Amino acid sequence: MSDHGGSSHGPVTRSGESADEALHHSIEARHDGHDDHGGHDGHGGIGKYLLVFLLLCGLTTLSFFTYSAAWPWRDQPQVGWAFMMAVSCTKAMLVILFFMHVWWEANWKYVLTIPAAMMALFLAIMLIPDVGMRNRMVSQERALHMARGSDLKLLEQAAAENPLAAQAH
Amino acid sequence: MTSSAVSIPHGHDHGHAGHGDDHGHGHVTLQYQPGLPLSRGKLIMWLFLSTEIMFFAALLGSYVVLRFGAPIWPKPHHVHLSEPIGAFNTFVLICSSVSIVLALEAARANKVRLAKVWMVLTFLLGGLFLGVKGYEYSAKFSHGIYPVAPRGRIYERPDLYYGSAVRGRLEALRREPTDSWQLMRYSWAVRWHGSPQGAALAGWKEPETYDRLKELDEAAETALTAEQVAGRRQLQQIQKMVLNPDQQAFDMAVVADQVMPLPAEGADHGTDHGNPEGGHGAHGLNDVFPWLKLPAVIPGGCMWASTYFLLTGFHAVHVIVGLIVFAVLLSYRLDAKRAGMIENAGLYWHFVDLVWIFMFPLLYLF
Repeated sequence: MSDHGGSSHGPVTRSGESADEALHHSIEARHDGHDDHGGHDGHGGIGKYLLVFLLLCGLTTLSFFTYSAAWPWRDQPQVGWAFMMAVSCTKAMLVILFFMHVWWEANWKYVLTIPAAMMALFLAIMLIPDVGMRNRMVSQERALHMARGSDLKLLEQAAAENPLAAQAH
Repeated sequence: MTSSAVSIPHGHDHGHAGHGDDHGHGHVTLQYQPGLPLSRGKLIMWLFLSTEIMFFAALLGSYVVLRFGAPIWPKPHHVHLSEPIGAFNTFVLICSSVSIVLALEAARANKVRLAKVWMVLTFLLGGLFLGVKGYEYSAKFSHGIYPVAPRGRIYERPDLYYGSAVRGRLEALRREPTDSWQLMRYSWAVRWHGSPQGAALAGWKEPETYDRLKELDEAAETALTAEQVAGRRQLQQIQKMVLNPDQQAFDMAVVADQVMPLPAEGADHGTDHGNPEGGHGAHGLNDVFPWLKLPAVIPGGCMWASTYFLLTGFHAVHVIVGLIVFAVLLSYRLDAKRAGMIENAGLYWHFVDLVWIFMFPLLYLF
């Protein structure tokens, strides 16, 4: 297995030790700086994972709370949306930092995660104008078959009046 | 890239050189600084995950555009989505994320059996997630909600097109094949020969049919339940309404409400048998006579079905891939040597969990 990094700069010559071994040792040395390698649990142990687990469960319950009748802003869905996204971002951070061990990783984590996160963010931002433009130019066929708020009202009215049941009696 | 940076002289294969007893040979081993100080597998997993971040960001972003750009979007209960089931699935995935992390910790500590137990648990939880997902999908399918071009059985609005679709289905029911296998073979033959005439020339007979609606009309009242008797009466009225040339938009809304009423909030799909009058018990003609399969109306339902099945489908594919990886890992001895592999599989699995963390509120609670 040669999939280990090295710690020294530039090409290194060393005799008597395979490249693989050398790389392995340097990785070990690097890791020792961050956690006690001989110990059974690398980063703070099972207790920390269980704490994160409980937090995740609690946060899921919080976002599910918006669905319950006790949620005070039921007539303003935007409040619930913002709240749920905040909860989701918190949960995502917990999973990334602790379950994916990013909290304990060396600085390479920034190289890999920040560009991807920025690309994802830009992608989302670039899509925002489409929300408003979406139905400005639609085909005639789509305009014909597209549901509108009035259709839902019509269905609700039909359900409320229920003329067929009235006829049956 | 890295393999070319490390040059190992001839004769120094891994096993031999690893002993460190070949001092006097005079060979040198070149070793280059890798780009990032982490193992190659982990680096590639992280690069893969960063492409996955963009993949799902695009999917979720498109969903948000379609969701908020649409003039109307169905409420979760309109499309028979159950929020508690979605929340349960979230819980299942969080549990599986914990168990894979514990498998990694056990493997690092060389607790082989414990690592295997946690890994099996992760696999089972992933399977449970898929099972619940399958149950949810089948609930949608049974209501005629599925993504197909141009639409499934779902119409966006109660208009003339909807009325003619109901009429078409009722006509088809008057020519219901007695043997569906025969019908399937016949339709293959028609496709093979290009036309019904071609199939007839090749000796294919049209399958025998019978009038299923007539059969229902003629059934003795004693052979039917009270609900079915009421349903039969409603069905007869609906047939009159869709055939009426002077029909109004409101009439079609009445038809749609009789066929598959939009469930009221909190009504559990399919389990509410309380209201035999049709009305709001989410109990329409399609539920009284499952073979009817009449087109139904859910405003915004078609676009909803497309986005829901695309998003959850791609997520489910990722879950399946994760399960395959776990199945492969389970065939190994999960000791400290395999910790790297478990870590990479775990990174992937946490990412799958991460995607669901965003999908659950966006799809179920928004």
